Amino acid sequence: MQSSYDTISKDEVMEVYPKVAETIAEALGRDLDDVKLTAPLMEGLDAESIDFLDIVFRLERQFKVKIPRGKIAEDARGTLSEEEFEQKGYLTQAGLKRLQEHLSEVSPERFRSPIKARDIPRLFTVETFCKLVVRAQKQATKSPDG
Amino acid sequence: MGGIVTRARVRVAITGLGLVTPLGNDTRTTWEALLTGRTGIAPIMTFDASGFPVRIGAEVKGFDPRTAIEDRKLLKFSNRYHGFALGAAEEAIRDAGIRPENASAARWGCVVGSGMMGIEFGELVEAHRRFAVDGHIAPERFGIDGIAGADPLVFCRSQANNGLSLLLQHFGIRGYATAVHTACASGGQAVGTAVKLIRRGTADFVLTGGFDSMLNPVGLAAFCLLGALSPDNDEPERASRPFDRTRNGFILGEGAGFLVLEEWNAACRRGARIYAELAGDGNSLSSYRITDSHPSGDGPIQAMAQALADARARPEDVDYLNAHGTSTPMNDRSECAAVRAVFGAHADRIAVSSTKSLMGHLIAGAGAVEAAICALAIHHGLLPLNANLHEPDPECDLDFVRDLPHPRRVGVAISNSFGFGGSNNCVILRNPEDVHI
Repeated sequence: MQSSYDTISKDEVMEVYPKVAETIAEALGRDLDDVKLTAPLMEGLDAESIDFLDIVFRLERQFKVKIPRGKIAEDARGTLSEEEFEQKGYLTQAGLKRLQEHLSEVSPERFRSPIKARDIPRLFTVETFCKLVVRAQKQATKSPDG
Repeated sequence: MGGIVTRARVRVAITGLGLVTPLGNDTRTTWEALLTGRTGIAPIMTFDASGFPVRIGAEVKGFDPRTAIEDRKLLKFSNRYHGFALGAAEEAIRDAGIRPENASAARWGCVVGSGMMGIEFGELVEAHRRFAVDGHIAPERFGIDGIAGADPLVFCRSQANNGLSLLLQHFGIRGYATAVHTACASGGQAVGTAVKLIRRGTADFVLTGGFDSMLNPVGLAAFCLLGALSPDNDEPERASRPFDRTRNGFILGEGAGFLVLEEWNAACRRGARIYAELAGDGNSLSSYRITDSHPSGDGPIQAMAQALADARARPEDVDYLNAHGTSTPMNDRSECAAVRAVFGAHADRIAVSSTKSLMGHLIAGAGAVEAAICALAIHHGLLPLNANLHEPDPECDLDFVRDLPHPRRVGVAISNSFGFGGSNNCVILRNPEDVHI
């Protein structure tokens, strides 16, 4: 299901999951048990927009990696140009397909077309953040300066 | 004034109290300490004060906001004194037995006197570490590392209105809110502003109070530089001695005090316990000097006179004064001169105490905490102690509460709060038995 751009194995995800879950639980003031791998952050764990910034900041400290702001959105688009990805605020068919590949952890029924580009964060689950960390770790080994 | 007397008057009831102070993390513990003379002043423990000329303070001890507030996420937006505010406000709301609900939220207001310092010391240290590696602040690095490297919540926590917004969020208040920043007068002026909201019909219920902590290296250094603090490190429990001839400065404290105010008739209809009527307040500006008070009491005189007029009380109605009484040589002398000027011979029949003798000076929180103490004095018919008064200053010739327990029925109580910059506030409370609608 995963594209060649960001192949991340389940093992890699599970390796970072405990610490990611702890970080998210702390940031959202939830019990660790609530922070399941599949839990959507906004609808499931009541996150608001500033919590995403907070969580990314905490993950950077926790894993000693750099995650540029806007990285999730950029990664989501992959090789598509902005016009190929979205039109007038809505995802194109190609964009939707690409997003679904990228967010392979999100269950397919949650990708109900039309999707507004600004609603993409609503799809993010705990696993999305695990993958973000794994990608940042891989990036760091490629170029130590990040 | 003449025409107003015939018009129906909107009265304001105090129905809930909450305190987080150096004397205790709730109202009951704080009140007991004020009646038994147990001090909250001790060596500073929250940071290493060993390099300071003043190493004592009145710290809140062992307070964990998570015991009061279930919303753990809200607490990540809170610094130390926001936690005090949430804790004290939650106690006040529970004590009142009423809280904003969907149908009533728009009729609730919130007015706070909030802390003087927004940025916490640890955050300053972090900014220095990141942006002044070679000793010089590099503004351009804020642009590079600041965006990518700094905690995004620092900005939220350091907003001057942050305490207010956390309270609104936590209680779901949707009517009207404002924050008062008039240094040490803030808490009292917040309470007075809350009364006006109810009187003019903007709100039926107001959560009001004050909170502060300047007990950090920057705050302590600032007051040391001004020479405003008592340097009696070896005798912390004796260091704050308002109106004593040997007094030599105030003690920096921290904490929060909150009150729930309601329109009188509505409070009566729901059968609420009413501690006292919040009968009004008076405010004046000294426009004299930034930190000095006028030796004649000019400024506080007008605040007290206005408060009496606002409450439609006569000077001879007043039984108890919770003094600003910081224990600095100048404040106490000037305040006594003002009391004498307003009350004349009746000043000898007013019981006076400065509770700062036991809990130190809570800065922006002081006025609200002390208004709550006046409400308790009226409710219990007991007066809190002015501790450590052994050799009264001949220039402070008032009747101070020097013995315990000190039972006395209080008809009218007043509380003074004066701030750097020349803001003077006096709030006035009346025994509910004396309110005849």
